[in-house]
Order: sequence, then C-alpha cells, then structure tokens
Amino acid sequence: MNSINYDACPECDLLLRPALPEIGEKAHCPRCGFLLSKPRKQSVERTFALSIAGFILFFPANLLPMVGITIMGNVNTGILLSGVIALFNDGMVAVAIVVFLASIFFPLVYLTLSMLISGHLYFNQPNRYLIGWMRWMHHLDEWVMLEVYMLGIIVACVKLMALAPLKFGGGLFAFIALIIITTMLTGGLDTRLFWQRIEKLSKKNSYEN
Amino acid sequence: MKTKPNALAQGFIRCHDCGCLVKTADHTQSCPRCDSHLHARRPHSLQRTTALLFSSFFLYIPANIFPIMNVNQFGAGESHTIAGGIIELFNSGMIPIGLLVLVASILVPSLKLIGIGLLLLCVHFRWQINARKWTVMYRVITFVGRWSMLDIFMISILVDLVNFGAVQIIAGPAATAFAAVVILTMFAAENFDPRLLWDYQQYL
Repeated sequence: MNSINYDACPECDLLLRPALPEIGEKAHCPRCGFLLSKPRKQSVERTFALSIAGFILFFPANLLPMVGITIMGNVNTGILLSGVIALFNDGMVAVAIVVFLASIFFPLVYLTLSMLISGHLYFNQPNRYLIGWMRWMHHLDEWVMLEVYMLGIIVACVKLMALAPLKFGGGLFAFIALIIITTMLTGGLDTRLFWQRIEKLSKKNSYEN
Repeated sequence: MKTKPNALAQGFIRCHDCGCLVKTADHTQSCPRCDSHLHARRPHSLQRTTALLFSSFFLYIPANIFPIMNVNQFGAGESHTIAGGIIELFNSGMIPIGLLVLVASILVPSLKLIGIGLLLLCVHFRWQINARKWTVMYRVITFVGRWSMLDIFMISILVDLVNFGAVQIIAGPAATAFAAVVILTMFAAENFDPRLLWDYQQYL
C-alpha cells in the first residue's frame, strides 16, 4: 500500500495528510469542514457492549405494549408491529412496508451487524464476511429511524390526549432505552479504526492459510 | 498554473465504502481493501439526482392535496390534509408540537426540494460560489431528510390505536405519496456528489 500516507476528504476531495487526532479530539477537513475522524476510547469494546445491550432491549421494546388508550371502556394497546399491521389492513401496503423496515427490520439488522463485527474484532477472529457486513452497516446507518419514530409517538400522544386518557406501558421505556443505546452506538463507532482492524485481521488470516 | 489540490487531480480515488485511497495509475476496478466498485465521483450523479428530484416533486403535489388521514366519529367522516392537521394542532393550543410538525412535514420537504434543485443547477451551470457554504447546505439536507418520516410514523400509531367501531382513524392516499417523497428525496441527496461542487471552482 503506497497510498497509505495520504487521505482524501469524502465531501470535497481535498488531498490530505491523514490527521491523527488524540482520543476525544476531532479532525475536520480544512477546506470544507467535514468531520474526518473522531477517535473514541475503546471503540471496539464499547460498540460490542452497546450492541449486545441494544440487541437484548430490542425484544421488550417490540413485544411489550407501548401506549394504551381507553375509549368508552375499551382498551387498545399498541406495539411497533401492530401499527404496521393496522396500516396493512387499511390497504396502505407500501407505507406499511416502509414503516416496518425503518422501525423494526433495519434497526435489528444494524444491531446484529454491529454486534457481529465488534465481536469478531474484540476476540480477534477473522471472518471473510466482515468486509461485507461493514459495508452493509455503512449503508444502513441512515435508514435506522428509531429516534424519528420516538418523535412520532410524542406527536401522536399529544393528539390523542385530547381524545382519551392514555396509559404508557413497559415497551415504551424499553424503546426509549433502545434509542439512547443506538445513539451512543452510532456516536462512538470509529469507522476508520474498524476498517484498519478488519484489514489487519484479514491479512493475518491470509498469512496463516 | 498550480495543480488542483483535489485527490483525483493528483491521481487518487477514494473508495466510497471504506475510505481507502487508491492510485488511478493502478487501473483497478475494485477497492483492494473492501472490494467495492471504485469510482472517483458517484456514477451518473447529476442524472440520477435530477430524475429522483423530479419524481419527488410530482409526488409532492398529491401528498399535499389529498387527505393524509380520515377520522370517523359516530358515522361522521372528516378528512385531514397535512396542513389541516397542523392548523388543528395550533387551534387546540399545542403550539410547540404544531411548530414541530410544521417544520418536519412542510418546511423540510419543500426546502429540500429547492435545495437539491439549486445544488444541481450550481453544478450544471458551473456557478462560481462559496463552495464551503454550499457543502454545508448539502450536509444539512442529508441530515434533516429522515426527520420528515415523523408524520408517517405518527399515522401508523394513530391508525393502530384509534380503532373502536364508532371512532376510527384511517390512513389516506396522501400518506403513500408523502412517504415516497421523503424516501425519494433521501435517495436524491444520497446520489448527489458534493465533490462536484468543488470540481468546477476556478479559484481553487
């Protein structure tokens, strides 16, 4: 690798000497201000721990009732999936699929991928799928919309409060915890370090074979 | 003339997926580190962004005209458009939440359509602009796009919870159009390559 001494800004293509900021510091592109790297303490370990926690929380957040509403003595409780099913039954198939992907499927895939990747890096286990997983995680990042969903819950609750009394269930608290964990996860993920570690692991693997 | 400081002008291509730099002189098609396809700028960036922008613009019209949800109360039906729902929130005194929905479902999508349009015009006509400011605009557009899904998620919750024979909320046809607008503009922003803004600046 003869190009290792250089780096390019992904948004303005300025050729740079790689900035190697200390842990806790940030490196910005001098021309366009893009955040080039932001190394974090123990990024691999933290990502591994957070993704396991997120994976565990995913199930109560999806299975326990989130919000309940009482109208004329009838109680109706909702979970993430029941909203998708309600849209589906109304004939809004496309919207139902989008909601399912952005609020259930992509978050689950994202958590699983980050758990697999950081787990392999933590235990120094080479795996030929690591590169593919890492690329998928990079592309999925934008489509995990848990925090947007949370805002949707808030607005829906404000609208419903005028209509009937609401009851909040355990699923909602698990969901809030899940959002905090995924936010910490994406914020602490040092992509640069992860790629370097993956490259090192795959080299080690090819020497052994 | 001084050579441009761009990596491409100096003979390097940055891999889009893993960020690894590759020499153009190597003539490789795929990245040595992550094996993804190499391209100096996003392929057909302008054409794809323009196509996605036009389709989302045309879908934006039905998204605002048709009702996004219908509220049936004891036999009497009432339909709400996106703007109608916001006016209702304001009328019932929920000003902060009303403002939030106003920003997420009207200001963000319309400003995004205008913003991406301007970025395309700028690259196409090679306007000499303050590229740094325009890059910041691009960054804001990509960051803010996903928050428009707020309305769609809210409807999925309302439709699910308010479903008692006499009182019912049903999603309207605008929901599909609006979801499509949000997703297509997200793809449009993703396909636009901000490096094109810098490529045609002469003062660099």
